[in-house]
Amino acid sequence: MPPTVGIPRGLLYYYYGDVWSAFLSRLGAEPALSPETTRAVIEAGGRIDEVCLPVKAFFGHARILADKVDFLFLPRVVSVAAGHYSCPKIIGLPDIVRAALPGTNLIAPTIDLRAGRGSLLRAITGVGETFGRSSLYSLYAWQRAWRQCRPVAGAVGCGKTGKLRVALIGHPYILHDSQISMDVAGKLAVMGVDIATADRVDPRAADQAAAALPKNIFWHYCRRLAGAALSFLGASTPPDGMIFITSFACGPDSLVGEQLRRQASRRGVPFLLLAIDEHTAEAGLVTRLEAFTDLLRRRRL
Amino acid sequence: MSVTFPHMGTLHIVLKALLTALGVRAVPPPPTSKTTLEIGARYSPETACLPFKTTLGNFIQALGAGADTILTCGGQGPCRLGYYANIQRDILRDLGYKFSMIVIEPDIASVWQALRRLTPGGLRPVWPAFRLAGAKLRALDAIEQAACRARPRAAVAAAVDAERLGALAAVDAAATPAAVEGAVATSLRRLASLPAGGWPEPLRVGLVGEIYVMLESCVNGDLIRRLGQMGVEIHPTMLLGDYVATHILRDRAALRRSTAVVDAAAPFLGHYVGGHGIKSIGYTAAMGRTGFDGMIHVFPFTCMPEIIAKNILPGVSEKAGIPVLSLAFDEQTGEAGTVTRLEAFVDLLRYRGRKGFFQSSNNPAEKRGV
Repeated sequence: MPPTVGIPRGLLYYYYGDVWSAFLSRLGAEPALSPETTRAVIEAGGRIDEVCLPVKAFFGHARILADKVDFLFLPRVVSVAAGHYSCPKIIGLPDIVRAALPGTNLIAPTIDLRAGRGSLLRAITGVGETFGRSSLYSLYAWQRAWRQCRPVAGAVGCGKTGKLRVALIGHPYILHDSQISMDVAGKLAVMGVDIATADRVDPRAADQAAAALPKNIFWHYCRRLAGAALSFLGASTPPDGMIFITSFACGPDSLVGEQLRRQASRRGVPFLLLAIDEHTAEAGLVTRLEAFTDLLRRRRL
Repeated sequence: MSVTFPHMGTLHIVLKALLTALGVRAVPPPPTSKTTLEIGARYSPETACLPFKTTLGNFIQALGAGADTILTCGGQGPCRLGYYANIQRDILRDLGYKFSMIVIEPDIASVWQALRRLTPGGLRPVWPAFRLAGAKLRALDAIEQAACRARPRAAVAAAVDAERLGALAAVDAAATPAAVEGAVATSLRRLASLPAGGWPEPLRVGLVGEIYVMLESCVNGDLIRRLGQMGVEIHPTMLLGDYVATHILRDRAALRRSTAVVDAAAPFLGHYVGGHGIKSIGYTAAMGRTGFDGMIHVFPFTCMPEIIAKNILPGVSEKAGIPVLSLAFDEQTGEAGTVTRLEAFVDLLRYRGRKGFFQSSNNPAEKRGV
């Protein structure tokens, strides 16, 4: 029987999950993805203190998988580009999981591309070794997996005319997890709003927009979000409004969100900050969305 | 040009000396107070961390007091500190303040640029200015350490505080490195000769966590002094000079110490996570092994590196056999709540070690007389 490798459905899974899964299959392992986030998953993650909701949910996923699989796949993604970092909590994730789930077999290669691609190659061959594969084979397997399913923009919404157009900015692991985001995207669609998310913006355009800021945003994933938001704001027809959805106590977002709020107000685009945690009530969220969309409609009259 | 800078503990003494010697007018912000915190929190993003809010308050108060240039630091992440200056500048501009900001990024070009702007009269005073600032830095660390050692042992803890304040004023007033050394030697002598009568064998507790909260008594409930009064010899693992030696001067001995701490952390935390997270783990593991009675871990609420440390510390505490108390601070933190938790922790340590257990009265001298 092939060894089973659990992939928690959270955080960077929403960027690289498909590639990881294809890579592990090619190495001869059986990837096992945790089910969609539910309340129970978040409660299972409640053991971790003071972290943001996505990290709690991630730990819940890891905990649910831990007894059922031979390994947990938890790469330590320190940096994916020169001059960029992941969020510190993502960097420390394997250690937090190790501390809270002692006895779990982790596959936790370090990926740090600040100084070239060497660490990625080492990570790939290291994971391959766990399953008795040669370096060459592992690199080939990664190459194929990457080609097969490199992270693509999961486009949400489209540009129909007449409807309210709102840019919905938030990390994919919040937006695409309907439990964590309380399905904000779906709720807005029901309200007749046409939404555009950050992953619809060409990464190169986002990068250029972010580079125009006076200071480099050194958190890679935040930089991408901010770049996309700035591209929306700088477009010839900027959106009617911008919603920034974040989790309470998210460190990078607390500062980057502030910057986006100021940029939006300079361009006269209404801005709504939604900070979500496990105590957020759905009714309150709906009220805020309704109030915001009402405001946008009135401005159009 | 009137230059101001953020407060952190007694850092203003060093920066004031440095700037004055370079030939610019230094305008330290009014001492950090509850008002500073209130002002800072009012204009900051809600979940920004405490040092962001407090230093923003410092800047607002200093600009009100006549400063026109802000000197502060940048950074390359992943801790939020590196992004502070950028957001604080926007907030202050939108509030209508007119000022220029000198942000020192951790690269040679940026340091050089900052230095040129701060030396209108040429580079001649640079070397003596840094020598004086360095002497003051070392002096301040020596005074803090001596005060931490003296407080639990002295008959009257307040006498130590008075000595410490006098020593700080003397260092502040000294105009040459020799005068600084003279002042600090006198103060250390006086601290050592204070009448004993407190705890002959105080508890030894290490202090780890985020450096700003550790050093700024206004935001941490004056924790170092209070622990001293409770009969604890507190060992802050980070002092100003040590920080400068490791991160700015990259002094060899300091780097060796830092590597040893990272090694001690390795079984629990395998990678740098920004800020001082890895040191909190490493020092706890190392100090547990060297016979310390307990550790106190302090950080600003929502601090990313220290939250990682906090979630790993219970395991370290168990392995190293040392109790750990984690305390998060924000602008809502009440002093009474902090004191209660510290007292409970100190009681626990006394029970645990039975060290001075029978002297649990506030006045140990009287008890011993019985």
